[in-house]
Amino acid sequence: MEETRKGTVTSLSSVFPAEEAQKAVKRVQDTISDKKSELDYLRGFVADNNNLINLVHKLPEQLSHDIMVPFGKAAFFPGRLVHTNEFLVLLGEGYYAERTSKQTVEILTRRGKSLDSRVDSIEAIIKDLQAEASFFNATASEALEGLVEIREDYVEEDCKQESKSGSLKQSAPNFGKTTADDQQYARMMSRLDELEKQEELASESGNHSDQSEETTSDTDDISYQRPTDNNLQSSQDFRQGMLLDQTKNKSMAAEIPKKQNHQEDIADQLNFASLAVQSKVQEKENVPKKVRFVDQGEKLVHPEEKIVKATTASKGEVQHQTSQTSFDSRKAFTGSIIEHAENIKASPIEQSSTLSQVSGSQPKKPVSRFRMQRK
Amino acid sequence: MSTLRDLQRELENKANDLSKLQKDIAKNHQVRKKYTVQLGENELVLKELDLLKDDANVYKLIGPVLVKQDLAEANANVRKRIEYISAELKRLDATVQDLEEKQNSKKDTILKLQQRIQSLQAGKGKA
Repeated sequence: MEETRKGTVTSLSSVFPAEEAQKAVKRVQDTISDKKSELDYLRGFVADNNNLINLVHKLPEQLSHDIMVPFGKAAFFPGRLVHTNEFLVLLGEGYYAERTSKQTVEILTRRGKSLDSRVDSIEAIIKDLQAEASFFNATASEALEGLVEIREDYVEEDCKQESKSGSLKQSAPNFGKTTADDQQYARMMSRLDELEKQEELASESGNHSDQSEETTSDTDDISYQRPTDNNLQSSQDFRQGMLLDQTKNKSMAAEIPKKQNHQEDIADQLNFASLAVQSKVQEKENVPKKVRFVDQGEKLVHPEEKIVKATTASKGEVQHQTSQTSFDSRKAFTGSIIEHAENIKASPIEQSSTLSQVSGSQPKKPVSRFRMQRK
Repeated sequence: MSTLRDLQRELENKANDLSKLQKDIAKNHQVRKKYTVQLGENELVLKELDLLKDDANVYKLIGPVLVKQDLAEANANVRKRIEYISAELKRLDATVQDLEEKQNSKKDTILKLQQRIQSLQAGKGKA
């Protein structure tokens, strides 16, 4: 059972060396500036076109215009513009057509539209490129900070035996939560979304350098994942697993009754949980426990594949639940826990069994992987 | 020793070939771009010609003179031109693909050569 839970740890800088990432940033920036000059060029065309349209509009207002006619490169002589409603319009490829002012304006507006669409497409391309550049930038800085990527594959076979062992372990079943679950789940999720946004804002605002901050955000992760799972799993074993965990972690003891009534006020509980854990985790010896928590929550919510990031630096930012496997590498850089909320409801048995497996095998679990960054 | 030098010479040759191929590819891309622009222009012309009424006067600039052309004739000419350009584009695509395949195989051989040279050097270093 233990072997199946082993994952791989890759340091980010070995996959993406910081220099390479910076080179990539530079390249992308170059492309952006190219595109920008192209955009300026096109904008010039658009302006020309608009001026021309105005002129063509105005010309037929009079029968003739007094103008200075260019003669050669340097000379002009006075002349008169007659037939002000006749235009010879270049259609392209050497084809000209005789048109009236009105028809000419039609042609010009059509051209303007095609120009506009080209401008739009180039703007979109520039936007994409900028996103790419910022991504490379983030990668470079994270590679410098020495992030590691931890991957563990979810092994499907575990489920069956786990569910057996899980059901055996359930010694304190509780009932009657099922009806309330859906409502609670909805409330919970909205609250969680809010919290996530707050955290993202906080991490973006940029003071997230010290260890204590990081621990805080990590604990937030835990505390918010736990109630979620709690709700999702009406089956008892999860609660059981939680009780086990909580008794292990003495600091959480005060919280247990609350958990058991299964909360009137979720927000309160969340805050309480995070406070309680935080106060304790600031002491280093609790770190292993904390990490285990993270891992467990992760296991629960992310059956496919999981990436738990332990990071010395910065962002304990919680990612959106919508994150997909295709974005794994991206998410992995941000030092966060990725969960798939949509999977949670779909396969409760699987998850609960996973949980009991996890809680069963916890002592064997090598903590060092997750701690490695802290040393 | 001589084998190492041979290998290095071979590597150099291959690298030259590769850079030649890359130049070809770049040239092809440029031509392709030109044709794409022309195609766009022609399509624009065709659209405008379609919008013209039958009695409209259409001229074609040939050298320094504007030659009056029948609308239907101009239309047919433009269509033919578009067909030609599309065919040309297809042809260019095929050649570019071909060149890229060649480039990839060349890259592979160069990589292998480099590995051989490295292993030779490593062996020499030990001995």
